[in-house]
Amino acid sequence: MSQLPPSPRKHLDSPRTRAVLRIQQQIVSAARDHLRALGFVELLPPVIGPATDPGGRGAKQVDVDYYGHRYKLMTSAIMYKQAALLSFDKIFCVAPNVRLEPPETCSTQRHLAEFHQFDVEIAGAGAQDAMGVAEDLVRAAVRSVTEQLPADLDVLGRDPDAFADLLAQPFDRLTHATAVAELAVLGHEQNPDAEIDWEGEAMLSRKATRPFFVTSYPKGSRGFYDREDPEVPGTLRNFDLLAAEGFGELISGAEREFDHARIVTRMRETGENPGKYQHFLEVAREGIPASAGFGIGIERLTRYVCGLDAVWEATAFPKIPGVVSL
Amino acid sequence: MTGGSGLSAPGFPEAAVRERARSGTAAAFPPLSGYGHTLLGAAPGAPEAGAPYGTPGELLETGRLVPPVFMPRRLEKLIELGREPQHSDVDLTTDIGGFQAPLPLYVSAFGSTRAAGDGLGTAVGRQAGSLGLPLVIGENVLPVSGYGRPGTASDGGGNAAGLLRRIRAYADELPDGVGGIAVQQSTEDADAEVWNLVHSDPHVQPLLASGRLAFELKVGQGAKPGLGGMTLVDAAEADRLADRYRVQDTLGEKGDVLRCSAPGTVTEEILRQQIRFMRSNYPRVRVWVKLFPGRDVDRAAAVAWQAGADAVTVDGAEGGSGWAPHAFLDGVGLPLGECLRRIAAGPHPLLVSGRMWEGGRVARSLALGARAAGLGRAALLAADEDPDRGLIRLTACLELELRLLVSALGKYAAAELAPEDLWPQPAAERRPDPTTREPS
Repeated sequence: MSQLPPSPRKHLDSPRTRAVLRIQQQIVSAARDHLRALGFVELLPPVIGPATDPGGRGAKQVDVDYYGHRYKLMTSAIMYKQAALLSFDKIFCVAPNVRLEPPETCSTQRHLAEFHQFDVEIAGAGAQDAMGVAEDLVRAAVRSVTEQLPADLDVLGRDPDAFADLLAQPFDRLTHATAVAELAVLGHEQNPDAEIDWEGEAMLSRKATRPFFVTSYPKGSRGFYDREDPEVPGTLRNFDLLAAEGFGELISGAEREFDHARIVTRMRETGENPGKYQHFLEVAREGIPASAGFGIGIERLTRYVCGLDAVWEATAFPKIPGVVSL
Repeated sequence: MTGGSGLSAPGFPEAAVRERARSGTAAAFPPLSGYGHTLLGAAPGAPEAGAPYGTPGELLETGRLVPPVFMPRRLEKLIELGREPQHSDVDLTTDIGGFQAPLPLYVSAFGSTRAAGDGLGTAVGRQAGSLGLPLVIGENVLPVSGYGRPGTASDGGGNAAGLLRRIRAYADELPDGVGGIAVQQSTEDADAEVWNLVHSDPHVQPLLASGRLAFELKVGQGAKPGLGGMTLVDAAEADRLADRYRVQDTLGEKGDVLRCSAPGTVTEEILRQQIRFMRSNYPRVRVWVKLFPGRDVDRAAAVAWQAGADAVTVDGAEGGSGWAPHAFLDGVGLPLGECLRRIAAGPHPLLVSGRMWEGGRVARSLALGARAAGLGRAALLAADEDPDRGLIRLTACLELELRLLVSALGKYAAAELAPEDLWPQPAAERRPDPTTREPS
């Protein structure tokens, strides 16, 4: 498979693309059913706002002229998810996000400038609760695909046995510190204060036969909304879910900072200007529920389920960072 | 001087009081007419007439470099070379915060001041590039000039292009293997996403790939310690900036308005985490931190290094500025020499700026522990004198002075300069390790 997509016509007209998009539809539909059965309410996602998730790893936001004010396209709906808990205790949305990732990510095979997430948030939940929901959700989606669409998996040459462990075994959970130590054993030098780099994630992922969680990232590696563990300062109550077979990160999630003063302080610590988030902070000052939640990269999950070389194959209209196309 | 009634007050700063009575808040600042084309800065030891304070005895101003009579290093060098060592044998190459430079010099930031516009900033960049000197690009070049409505001439895209044009002017001239660019951002301007913009620009990728891109977290500046960016804008521009900046304090009769921001890096934990966040987000980019000359500058430097900063820059109270109140220029912040005396050596370079323009002050700074010195106003003035060669000639002159001074001290590398080379000897009050001390 070439690194960049073929022409839009060739891509859209390919039997492989059809199989991938049917599997993606199955994943979305199964995840929706699963969450609704648990009492979650689906909200339509916001697309623009005065501020959005500052993210990390150097992705640029897209500015929108909103009657003379600078608005942003959503890089994630994190702040809206927290605010939405004022309406319902358990919410989710299928949200489009745009992140102008650095051009170097065009060759990682796992970055798209435009992508979609299952965005889930649960009032009163802790990180462990959210991980439980995420694990069940992934399992339900994968089971649905293996049961309903074996022919499409066959078109893609994807062996359903790849998911035997995923369907039968609980997902392992290792801390960031343990992951750093394991990477050192594998000969990969990983900054213990930072996000696990892409190569490191791929190395851990290649060793695994089913997805696994990495938890408790150090402060400084994540955004202001991941809650700092009050009992272990400097450590966040958060997690990533990494796929098996080298497919890397599928999910990021965390318990959230919800106290106004803590949010402002963490904004400063992540180099952010609270003034930019005044509309969210006004809501937070009057109180928002404690919560935990996560986002699943739908194209990444599709890529993993389909066993695709590149994530762009998991979308009808791929936007590769830095590449101009349909 | 008398007013209408003939009242006078000999011995009292009568003229200054009368000026305030006439101009109000505008009198807290240098003349508004000079805004945009005057480079301000304190003059330690020689305050303006009537200014109440100075910094007499400041080491970098009044200290002298004093060679010893006996120079065993010169004998070693003679043996090594097999001839009489000369000033041309002095090794001035320097690692400046992860960048290789031919001299212990870099060009420090000038921000949104109009003085740096009109092609002068680009002229400085081009010459610095051809010299292989690292270049810092000011933090508010982008945000102050502003994001307005996309697609118009004054929008962020246009100014982003201006920022990127400065980077390209430098990079186009840069020889392989030397130099590098440090792009500033301050916490209060974080929503401008300057770093993300630069990091994702295709033209910047060669610098990134060759390890010659740094981001400098600006904690403050020497000319106005404790204050953030401060510029003068007209009423229309004030409206446009009101979303992101407190715009207040009308100055003078024409309605010019002061645009202020407040420094955002205000606790140790914030500084530490901001640095870690930068390292995590931009693993291939060097991290620099610029400090203002505060009374705990030693501790701030230690925290920054400990968190992984590749360089800490200290801008002395005599640092230049496009705009600052008299009271700050004349009497706020530690002079650079005192900062150097207080800061214990760290694991990574200490860079210094403030009134740098000739070899003596640079050599004294190196003797007090700095790795390199930044040219600010001097670089702008030199490029103003000759946009093609001014900075190149100024640097050549400074280089010759440095070579002569270092060799006169019986040393053959810039890095060998030490406090022993200075008179009077700096008082030995350095704290052993500020990180182990509780903040007072």
